[in-house]
Amino acid sequence: MNLAQIFTDLVFFSFAAILVGSALMTIISRNPVRSALFLVLAFFAATGLWILLEVEFLGLILILVYVGAVMTLFLFVVMTLNIDVEEQRSSFVRYLPFAIVIVAMLVILMVYVISPGHLNPSELTTTGGQPVNYSNTTELGMVLYTDYAYPFELAGILLLVAIIAAISLTFHGKGNNKTQNPDQQILIRREDRIRMVKMQGDKK
Amino acid sequence: MLENYLPILIFIGIGLVIGMAALIIGALIGPHKPDAEKNSPYECGFPAFEDTRLPFDVRYYLVAILFIIFDLETAFLFPWAVVLHKIGLYGFLAMMVFLGLLTIGFIYEWKKGALEWQ
Amino acid sequence: MLFETILTYPATPEIFLLGMTCIVLLADLFIKQQEKKITYWLSQFALVGTAVLVLLLYNVPSTLLFNGSFIWDKTAALMQFAIVAINFFILIYAREYIRERKIPQGEYYLLSLFSVLGMLVLVSAYSLLTLYLGLELLSLPLYAMVALQRDSTECAEAAMKYFVTGALASGMLLYGLSMFYGATQSLNITEIAQVTSNLSSGQELMLIFGLVFIIAGVVFKLGAAPFHMWVPDVYQGAPTSVTLFVGTAPKIAALAMVVRLLIEGTPALVHQWQEVLILIAVLSIALGNVVAIVQSNLKRMLSYSAIAHVGYMSLGLLAATPDGYASALFYMLAYALMSLGAFGMLVLLSKSGAEVDKIGDLRGLNTRNPWLAFMLLLVMFSMAGIPPMVGFFAKLGVLEALIGAHMVWLATFALVFAIIGAYYYLNVVKVMYFEEPEIQYPIVNRPIINVAISVNCLMVLWLGMFPSGLIDLCRAAFAM
Repeated sequence: MNLAQIFTDLVFFSFAAILVGSALMTIISRNPVRSALFLVLAFFAATGLWILLEVEFLGLILILVYVGAVMTLFLFVVMTLNIDVEEQRSSFVRYLPFAIVIVAMLVILMVYVISPGHLNPSELTTTGGQPVNYSNTTELGMVLYTDYAYPFELAGILLLVAIIAAISLTFHGKGNNKTQNPDQQILIRREDRIRMVKMQGDKK
Repeated sequence: MLENYLPILIFIGIGLVIGMAALIIGALIGPHKPDAEKNSPYECGFPAFEDTRLPFDVRYYLVAILFIIFDLETAFLFPWAVVLHKIGLYGFLAMMVFLGLLTIGFIYEWKKGALEWQ
Repeated sequence: MLFETILTYPATPEIFLLGMTCIVLLADLFIKQQEKKITYWLSQFALVGTAVLVLLLYNVPSTLLFNGSFIWDKTAALMQFAIVAINFFILIYAREYIRERKIPQGEYYLLSLFSVLGMLVLVSAYSLLTLYLGLELLSLPLYAMVALQRDSTECAEAAMKYFVTGALASGMLLYGLSMFYGATQSLNITEIAQVTSNLSSGQELMLIFGLVFIIAGVVFKLGAAPFHMWVPDVYQGAPTSVTLFVGTAPKIAALAMVVRLLIEGTPALVHQWQEVLILIAVLSIALGNVVAIVQSNLKRMLSYSAIAHVGYMSLGLLAATPDGYASALFYMLAYALMSLGAFGMLVLLSKSGAEVDKIGDLRGLNTRNPWLAFMLLLVMFSMAGIPPMVGFFAKLGVLEALIGAHMVWLATFALVFAIIGAYYYLNVVKVMYFEEPEIQYPIVNRPIINVAISVNCLMVLWLGMFPSGLIDLCRAAFAM
């Protein structure tokens, strides 16, 4: 094992540790905003891992789309809701035993399946060692719009449905809210608002 | 290929160290003497009546989700632009159909008035 | 020449439906219309056109398209036709209902068309990628449709539960699919089937691990025990016009997913998924039939009955013979038809402000409207599996397949619970015929829906008396 290999492993394990740690903090953090920010950190660490796998385009998309847009959405959602932290806490403790049992079962199963005894690493293809001018973006583009054109169009339809669903669920329609029109406010004349009425005053 | 990213890794490392150092040194050296009065919320001499964080209007959510959708669209445009001269008419048309679908979505938003911030 | 190519190109129905949906969208936006008449008729035209195209394509031989990620075969043709036809009826039933309750009509039609498109994609998907995208395209509009009635907190709650459990199911399915991809290094069902036929033990373990997650995800979508928790709440909380949608055609599409992933994708692992399916079938039949007895809410009762029916359907799958698969498909089509009739009747009887959703609301239906009562009687008899309704032949076919596969104990078990289950269906009939009506207002007369529901319920009877045609179609779908 040469020095470069050791260095790569080191980088891998530090990103992996950050990923697992921040994912854990996302779940156990009390404050929802803090959870969302830890999720950002998790995305960053995942980007690091993807770039290590030499899929730079997906890594960058993860930052562009997830950190840039999805996290904004999450933060907005957190802020539109009034989450009672204490209440959340109590249900967290209540469901903790079930969660631990399920997670433990999953982890045991996963370790059992992926352990070297059962899964021969040589059966899996590995990436890495690409030439310097290798571009993941080009490789992706070559298949995405030709071989995978059908799933690609389906993704487009899904996005269209998302637009329709989001608007029909959250948008209240034009003219329902009480907005002020500054133009009309400025153009108002005294005659429109005030009517002078001559009244006979009481005479003493 | 990975060696191209080494400067970025070093950059991240330096950024982390400087950022963390500022926080840690501040926490270690700065005076830290809290008392009950200092920690209490202050509102013109009264204790706070309610939570200071008001919930956002749901319209922000709508703007954010519409942004995500078109953000994803641009994400799909990147690799397409890089290989456009290699994938030929088929690839070009595939993207045009995709863009056409999203344009219909855009017309829907516009016509429904979801883009207006009243 | 061009025309001929279009009529023999297997993806034409999907492309036509997508194009028409976009036209419906634009028409809904730009044409000022009273009560969304144009949108409604255009949507119906889209469905009828798609159905006609599917029929025209029926005799086109099995083909793979789009790099092997799309398949056209008899299974796809039959399921697609059933899905489109059922949705044609759904739109007829739902129209008045959503108009009276101020549910946004344009959006209802649009989202349902998109969901139908998702079902068609799912039914003819032949790679893990299109399978997943089709499933999402099916589910996403459904989540929105459940929440479409915005002033109702019940609907919002149902939508929330549906969405969260649905997302969890998608996550599990995706995890299982990634395991499949990891073990076989292919997204294509054809290649996966090839790879799985000769495996090393390590790969096989990984595949089984993935299989468990895939089955969990699929069972979630089908709504069978032990992943049935969302079904009663969503069926009850959603507006009946949407329950009608959720409870019928998506089940057929979910069955297609099972067919592609288990039967065609991993025939080598048949013993493994057979065992899991036995567990699922036993739990679903027992739980669905027993819990349905104590329900007083009709929609909730029908939801538990749906769980039980999915259990019966999976009996056909786990027999693991072509006849068994055909009987499962027959069961699903029959169930979709019965469920369409039952929920359609609830939509028809309901009146804005006075929903009919309790069993008590049906008291004395016979004296109020004998014809509708008789129609509902047909559906209830069919669900209970009483001859000569289609439900009887569906159950019979499944049990025959089980006995053919030497699983007599399971057949006996299913039979015992079918008898227990008959109680709550017959209870509805008893309430309709032998109790005095409580509600005095007259049933709103809606001629078109009356005709549609009569056709629907008489189909239940007709298919029960002459089931051989449909059985042959189902057999042809799985002819090896």
